[in-house]
Amino acid sequence: MNTPLHFGLAAGLLAIPTLLTGLWISSADARLKESEASAERALKAGEEKEEVAVAAAATASYCDGDLRKILRRTLQSCGLLSTGEVRGCQPMEAKNIAMLAGGDFNSLFGPLKDRAGIIQFDQDSAELDQADAALLDRMFADQRGASYFFVVSRSSPEGSAIYNRDLSQRRMKSVMDHLRTTFNDHALDQEVGLLSLGEEVQQLDQEFCTWQRSGQGTVCQTDDLNRSAFIAWIDCSL
Amino acid sequence: MRPSPFLILFLAAAVAGCFFSGWSSYDFIQHLDRQVHGIHCSFIPGVTKADLTGSSGCAVTMMSPYSSILRSTVWGGIPISLGGFSVFAWLLYRGLDILLQRRERERGTTGFLALGAVLPFMTSLGMGWLSIVELGAACKLCIGIYLSSTLALAGAVGMWRRAVKMAEGADGGMDSGGLDSGGLDSGGMDSGGLDGGIGQEMPGHLAGFASGVAFVAAPALLYLALAPDYSRFIGVCGELPKPEDPNKVMVALDQNLTGIPTVEIFDPLCPSCRGFESRLDASGLAPRLHRSAVLFPLDNTCNWMVQTTLHPGACTVSEAILCADEKRVDAVIGWAFENQEEIRAEAAAILAGAADTPEAAQKAADQAAAATTARVTAAFPELKACVGSARVRQKLNQSLRWAVANRIPVLTPQVYVRNQKLCDEDTDLGMDWALARLIEREEKR
Repeated sequence: MNTPLHFGLAAGLLAIPTLLTGLWISSADARLKESEASAERALKAGEEKEEVAVAAAATASYCDGDLRKILRRTLQSCGLLSTGEVRGCQPMEAKNIAMLAGGDFNSLFGPLKDRAGIIQFDQDSAELDQADAALLDRMFADQRGASYFFVVSRSSPEGSAIYNRDLSQRRMKSVMDHLRTTFNDHALDQEVGLLSLGEEVQQLDQEFCTWQRSGQGTVCQTDDLNRSAFIAWIDCSL
Repeated sequence: MRPSPFLILFLAAAVAGCFFSGWSSYDFIQHLDRQVHGIHCSFIPGVTKADLTGSSGCAVTMMSPYSSILRSTVWGGIPISLGGFSVFAWLLYRGLDILLQRRERERGTTGFLALGAVLPFMTSLGMGWLSIVELGAACKLCIGIYLSSTLALAGAVGMWRRAVKMAEGADGGMDSGGLDSGGLDSGGMDSGGLDGGIGQEMPGHLAGFASGVAFVAAPALLYLALAPDYSRFIGVCGELPKPEDPNKVMVALDQNLTGIPTVEIFDPLCPSCRGFESRLDASGLAPRLHRSAVLFPLDNTCNWMVQTTLHPGACTVSEAILCADEKRVDAVIGWAFENQEEIRAEAAAILAGAADTPEAAQKAADQAAAATTARVTAAFPELKACVGSARVRQKLNQSLRWAVANRIPVLTPQVYVRNQKLCDEDTDLGMDWALARLIEREEKR
């Protein structure tokens, strides 16, 4: 046996996996150190670190100007942002808030058509029937990235304004009670904004007949539309 | 004397084995820099592009617990393919030695080589079985290694049988049993039979065996010596600012109440989550943890944080997990893991067929959800009333809101051991090593 050849072959072929392993590991180690060094350099230079997206609530393009103002005001007036406690704007506050947008209060909600619905109550009633509850459940469960759920209750003009204010309040409460009993959501008080407008302010017009309504399929007159609670998820973060 | 076809076959197989196992080792080792790399998954690696999606069979195999050994000793462990590389290099050395020193007629030498070739062949059989049965993955580089080891064994056995026959011919019928004969070959050299020869050639075979051990040990020891120190990355990747769970969105993954509370950010249709669970099971670390999952499907039908749906159907399957009672959660997750590909493919096909309008997209999303619901409720009829209901959809939304409150990155899987994040770079190859150290750290607190 040619011993030098034998050992030379062994050494040569042993060197292949050994040296390559060493080379690959050293190279990976160098890259690791370089990436740490470059991250440190970027940190010192005050550059933003490139990272994957971080979980956050949604903010839609419609979320600007007056809508944001009204949202903020509703939440503050109802004591939500400051105290996190319950609940519901008083009628006069609601009126003021609704007036913030001048005559365009209802049109602010135009972009929310797919995220909104109208719970239609029976005349002089604040009780949710099966169709009302089903629409409310469906809409509320479709929260997606929205942070706030608006409930704007109204009354049709039959009866006195004072009575209708009370009726509107009861409708608002009815919606909130249903949400509270149906959904075990600890953030409910922080995310639901309530406005009770009675018969006096910003009645819904015929245009809203094409929106999702619990009274779908029935005749749609403005009176029917305003015996209601308008509900919508708003994809805004404040 | 011209080399026999068996020797040529053997040498070619050993070279091919070196090539495939070398590429595989390279792919593994480059991950030691804790960055994302493409993985070669081709019969001609280097010519085709490396796969960056992590969905190839080679990626599944590499990220599986079977791809390396000593995983809790060194970050990622020592790749099995490195052992393969060493063994093929050793076979090549023995084959070239036979070629250059014209030892092809030696029964002992060729018999020893055939024995040596059994090792990679048997390993290939075992790894192939694991790959197909356990992982359900076809890794082309691995198949290259399996074929190389099979051909190397065929070449070595062919060489040995030829040597035995030639020796029998030279013996002139004096001794009929080539295996036991020993004696002289036709060239007058001492060949040795596989049994009788081993007795006579024991020192030579021992030296051969020692050289094989050296071939395997040298790169492995060097690997252990040079592997970077990752201890500085333990427990520095952030923590959960609001880990409380007032809405009870967390799903218990075990009943091990004495373990360290651990939260997994989890998507039931995410292959990496499935891989993570498989590695965690194999690591033996799970009994030290009390694990809960926060569902975070990377599917934009429910998760607004995802621009493009990565795992179609994941929202519906997540609802099913939230609907399942404690005793059935494991079964639903297991079912989802087993059927990931089919569920995703079906939902993706429906979504892909939609026209490019919001209405059509919504309709397709509803159809995809209905198809996934049909699958999941066929497997778990008791969930029929719950999946798709307003309450479970809202609960899934609360799960996503928990993620928002904790400002977690939009990716899965993520693991938080007592609110301390296991670095994302440590959830695959380095999981055994890094998780063990994070657990130790938290156990001492």
